[in-house]
Amino acid sequence: MKIKRAAALCLSAVLLCSMTACGDKTTVTKHNDQVNISFSWWGNDVRNEYTIKAIQEFERLNPGINVKCNYSEWSGYQVRSNVQMVSHTESDVMQINFAWIEQYSPDGMGYYDISTLSDHIDLSNFSENELAFGMQNGRLNALPIALNTQTVYVNRSIYEQYGLSIPRTWEDLFEAARVMDGAHYPMTANNKAAFFYMVSYAEQHSGREFIQKDGTLGFTDAEFQMMLEFYSRLINEKVMPQIEYFERLNLDSGNYAGTVAWLSDASSYLGGAANAGYEVEITDYTELDGAETLGWYTKPATMYAISANTEYPEESARLLDFLLNSKEMAELQGVEKGIPISRSAREHLEASGKLTGLQYDAFIKMNEYSGKLKVISPYMENTKIIEQIQESCNEVYFNKVTAEEEAHNLRTKVAEILAAAQQ
Amino acid sequence: MKTTGRESHSDRIKKTKLTMILGYAFIIIAAVMTVSILTLNQTSAIMEEKVNNMTAALNVQLKLNIDSYLSKLETTGTLIFATPEVYGYDAVNPPADEYEALHTEDIITDKLMELCIMENYVDFGIVYSNNHCTGKISNGTVNLFASDLYTELESVITRQRTTDGWATGCLGDYKRIYYVKRVNENAVFVASFYTTELENVFVLPEDMSDMTVRLVSQDNSVIYSSSGDETGTLLPEAIASRISDHSHAAVVDEEYLITVNNCGDEWRVICSIPRSIILDELNDIRNSTIVIACVAAALAILVGIFLSIRITNPVNTLVSNLDSQARIDRLTGIFNKRSFEETVESLLSDPQRNEIGALLVIDVDNFKGVNDNLGHSYGDQVLANIGTILKRTFRSSDCLGRIGGDEFAVFISLPADEKDKFCDIVNARCEALCEAFRNNYTGDDNTYKISASIGAALSPDHGKDFAALYKCADTALYSSKKKGKDTYTVYENSMQEAGDSDEN
Repeated sequence: MKIKRAAALCLSAVLLCSMTACGDKTTVTKHNDQVNISFSWWGNDVRNEYTIKAIQEFERLNPGINVKCNYSEWSGYQVRSNVQMVSHTESDVMQINFAWIEQYSPDGMGYYDISTLSDHIDLSNFSENELAFGMQNGRLNALPIALNTQTVYVNRSIYEQYGLSIPRTWEDLFEAARVMDGAHYPMTANNKAAFFYMVSYAEQHSGREFIQKDGTLGFTDAEFQMMLEFYSRLINEKVMPQIEYFERLNLDSGNYAGTVAWLSDASSYLGGAANAGYEVEITDYTELDGAETLGWYTKPATMYAISANTEYPEESARLLDFLLNSKEMAELQGVEKGIPISRSAREHLEASGKLTGLQYDAFIKMNEYSGKLKVISPYMENTKIIEQIQESCNEVYFNKVTAEEEAHNLRTKVAEILAAAQQ
Repeated sequence: MKTTGRESHSDRIKKTKLTMILGYAFIIIAAVMTVSILTLNQTSAIMEEKVNNMTAALNVQLKLNIDSYLSKLETTGTLIFATPEVYGYDAVNPPADEYEALHTEDIITDKLMELCIMENYVDFGIVYSNNHCTGKISNGTVNLFASDLYTELESVITRQRTTDGWATGCLGDYKRIYYVKRVNENAVFVASFYTTELENVFVLPEDMSDMTVRLVSQDNSVIYSSSGDETGTLLPEAIASRISDHSHAAVVDEEYLITVNNCGDEWRVICSIPRSIILDELNDIRNSTIVIACVAAALAILVGIFLSIRITNPVNTLVSNLDSQARIDRLTGIFNKRSFEETVESLLSDPQRNEIGALLVIDVDNFKGVNDNLGHSYGDQVLANIGTILKRTFRSSDCLGRIGGDEFAVFISLPADEKDKFCDIVNARCEALCEAFRNNYTGDDNTYKISASIGAALSPDHGKDFAALYKCADTALYSSKKKGKDTYTVYENSMQEAGDSDEN
């Protein structure tokens, strides 16, 4: 009996094994859970390259997070960003312009409240004043990367070639243009820099602010007329080429003796000329002697925000922390976006000896003017305003209309754009 | 008691059992090995086929991805021909009115920006033969080609029908991939994207992460590689030599599994995976199979042994009992005549045996009187007691047997080198036995006086086989009887002569 029982047990075991092996079975292979977030920025090749590298490094350090990159140069980016914000398809983490906080988040609800993500972003790297740049209606909508201002750069070598001293006043510029006689342009600017240049000129001459503290338009027809006439004079007297013909590479070759550009663009705009052996430097803001106001502005260079609609706030916050505070990003970014506001990033740069060069010189110059520079109104960088002014400048320059007539038209249109933006 | 001699039934059963177990183990191991090898070979073939199919399918998918990505850019670029101002404008011979020219360029730029606004294109613009640009032409591109901007880009056009073309590695720069299409005789449309964008095109499933995906140009320069550090270099020779210039192929050999597919007109998507990686997985499977097979075989053998023992033990016991019953005299507990003879014969005929021996033949004197006077039952008790006396008197290694009704025999062995004292030992044993009879059967206390007459013969001196030895011992016994019983006699050769003379 015992033998039979043992044999039965063995047989049962074999049958059980067979049934287990051959029976219906669902196999589930668990793959690593990947969170997909997106990150968008604008910039040139240099920025694109190091940012893509940084994202690859972030993905390596955070194996569960996959970051899709969206990037473009500035003008394309702001149109794309607008399309995405309006269609709710914006990236989870975005590089944004200071002005956009007011534009897309007037009540503070347009972007994620980053202060609620402080477990994942080290906000202690920023002072209260620095965080205030991104505060909107009590919500921390964005974090600043660096401070920025339009800066005047000159190629001293070219000026010395003509025996000229570096221009300090507006009239010095016209005098230099007469001496250079079209062979070189004493000063140049792209469309936005030219806009700020004209605003500064008009503010110094009138004492009025382009946009007042209450957000209303401060310029009258007279100041707009002043801007339009100033632009035509700059072109006609060969101080600068038309905005449309501005080519940054002419700075590298020494064809332009100076330019107005963002502090954050110091290396990308003037690095080529410096490498070519020219003596490039940051000079004083162009002024009207005796003017009551400087008419130059400062702002956060660029900022980072998190989409209000993100499905992955924690992962987005970790990316944001990496972008702003990490050693890896600080090393890759250097001072390309300006001197970082994040204390941690600045310490990394200082330790690695990267707080030098044109960008740093521009930063020091900005600090020299810290008492005179005004914080920019978010509306001043409204693309429509700048494009409208450029269009009017051309109307006057090409004698399609008089400056006086166009000034009134321009003021009306700017006021309308401003009112629309503030609704 | 001596039990050596002819192989017992139990021993034979043990041997048979062992043979059965070994045979069973051999069959199990052979069967498991055969099944395992067949399974492994089948698994290997199936797995290679599966990986091959998966690689081919993946390659086709990746080819479709890149085709789709490139085609999207081409289609987007083609849309510039939807706006006459864009393709009709000639920056080399612009309108006399500069304002009008600027206005037209604004329209062109707006149109181009509109088309590319949602894409990560680095360039998306028109370059004119005087190197003037509209739309988005990056500083990187302008810097790269400098004064040869137009001519270099124009040279990218290779497809005559559609007047367009793709290129990378321009002036050694593999960071971007360019698409160029002629707009009019003085202008080309240029679009480009970073090579890193292809990471989103050639996304490998997690399970296929050991595979390398490459996009190579017509001259086998690597445009993109999932292994990261090969861009701009030539396709490794090991891969290039295997795929030759095939446009659609799958190559499998001892070292690699490679699939190739053309994308566009001239580029190829190549997926490759070293076979050693597949073999590693096969080795894992092989090792697991071997372990499982060994465990299964060991279990089967253990079960077999267990069942064999359970089945054979009762038989063994039965056979052992029967064997014992056949060999032992039930009354005295010593060998019966046949077993005694066989055992002694076996000892004497063993060529390896280096011993001398003595055969003692014992006859119980007056035993007939016991049966006649005290009955057969008592006689049986006496015989049983004699068995006990013999066991007590001789060593356990000595061979004892009952060879007749009241006749017993003992075979004593000693190592050959103790020959000198052998006679003394034999004499002592005989005397001890006679003494034991005397002591046990004195005739007092209701016993019947019996005694033992013993005849002894030595081997090999008096005989080398049982029959010869027995004959001598019997002669010596006869001598003891003649001497008046209750004594022993060791055979001497002279007795043979005397016997013979008596008979004569």
